[in-house]
Amino acid sequence: MKYNLWCGEYDGKLKLSKDFAKSFAKAKNPSPVPEEAFEEAKEKVKNYYEVLRRVAIEVTERKVERELRREDRYVIMLVKALDELNEAINLLEEKYRDLVEVKTSEISEEFEERIRGLKELRRRIEREIDEVMGKIAPNLTEILGAKIAARLLERAGSMEKLAILPASTIQIIGAEKSLFKALTRIRKGKKAKIPKHGIIFQHPFIRSLPKRKRGKMARFMAGKLAIAAKLDYFSGELKEELAEEVRRKYEELARA
Amino acid sequence: MKNLQELEEVLPNTYFIQVNGKRLLATKSKYPPFYGERKYGEYREWIPTRSKLSAAIIKGLRPKIKEDTKILYLGAASGTTVSHLSDIVEEGVIYAVEYSAKPFVKFLELAKERRNIVPLLEDARKPENYSGIVEKVDFIYQDIAQRDQIDIFIKNAEFFLKKGGIGIIMVKARSIDSTLEPEKIFKNVEKELKRKFDLLSKIDIQSYHKDHVCFYLRWRG
Ligand SMILES: C[S@@+](CC[C@H](N)C(=O)[O-])C[C@H]1O[C@@H](n2cnc3c(N)ncnc32)[C@H](O)[C@@H]1O
Repeated sequence: MKYNLWCGEYDGKLKLSKDFAKSFAKAKNPSPVPEEAFEEAKEKVKNYYEVLRRVAIEVTERKVERELRREDRYVIMLVKALDELNEAINLLEEKYRDLVEVKTSEISEEFEERIRGLKELRRRIEREIDEVMGKIAPNLTEILGAKIAARLLERAGSMEKLAILPASTIQIIGAEKSLFKALTRIRKGKKAKIPKHGIIFQHPFIRSLPKRKRGKMARFMAGKLAIAAKLDYFSGELKEELAEEVRRKYEELARA
Repeated sequence: MKNLQELEEVLPNTYFIQVNGKRLLATKSKYPPFYGERKYGEYREWIPTRSKLSAAIIKGLRPKIKEDTKILYLGAASGTTVSHLSDIVEEGVIYAVEYSAKPFVKFLELAKERRNIVPLLEDARKPENYSGIVEKVDFIYQDIAQRDQIDIFIKNAEFFLKKGGIGIIMVKARSIDSTLEPEKIFKNVEKELKRKFDLLSKIDIQSYHKDHVCFYLRWRG
């Protein structure tokens, strides 16, 4: 049995690697590494803990940088993929129904199987969005849920952009089309309603309120989301009070 | 400092102190404040609302930690609690796992300042991925609000915890299941943990951290 240690390979004897940063990144093993391996490493690597710590910091710094650049774009791609996938599933289901109405055959069975496969893929994408959003935007996710939070991010374009948006924009983001329509009408001297809610309107805390209270809830929520986006982008730590305040506001409005 | 008095040592380098008539938990530290806590002389206050471990100690937890204890810490975030553990295990080492890059930026500052912290940007669900880095440890600490937090804890113990080693897990009821009563969830969790661990104590820290209970355990191995 051969084991990969951060400082080399062990198969009853330790062979030190020439590049610790490299072997550190590959120090994976399917089962626990025997203690003797680490004992021998401590004998062979001078100033073991000092060296280990230095390598860990160096590797982790690079990894952090890479991750920070990549993760929000990844979610955005996933959200876009999800939309396309949904369309494809709907379309195929429609065709499938048309098909079996006429005749079931091997082809229609294959159709069915493919649709099932796509739905499974959809579930996996959704889970991945949950997972990554929890990491890169814990506060937005706590307030909105991963799905809606990811849509907000997709519309804003990046965490950086989202972090500097004012609450008033967050409130209507995703309603650009209707906003644009309204503005053109107004410009032409006609009457029009300025939309009050965008993506965040999908949230049950807004949707389930009576119409006249929705604006108030959306405003409050957008204010907290603006704070949450900044926290997520600049510190990355979850502050549970934010979501708690949103919930309390909702309960207050729902009761009153 | 004039109005500063050491009252009781609870762990290595860890004291209840009295400052201007107020009783505080603090760790003796060579280092400056890290997360907005205050420093009184050489004591860094250890804020219970910021750190669940501080809350648990104030509520009576006395974990078996020595100067040279080796710790695996899961869910290190930006290092609030780790900064105090680093004061405590002066001669030990803390392997700190966190999977989110953002808070780890600040954590890396801490790791550079201290000499006993090994930072690992890894998913705690996959101990195999850091199995060639982390040796056998005396103590596993976990604070990650995940649905599968108990599985994660046990998996890591299987990989890294010495037989008879100790574990602390901060369990957040709502992240395991938001539909069940917290008390019910804590009961289930306790049962699950007891299959592999001896339960040494269970500390309610809900007055500092909503929905949280701290389990202090010994690994049967
Ligand atoms: C409540 S915070 C921890 C606070 C920290 N223990 C302290 O007291 O300073 C929980 C952390 O666990 C991290 N986390 C959640 N799931 C994780 C996983 N599977 N692997 C590693 N870290 C995880 C989160 O990113 C978050 O930073």
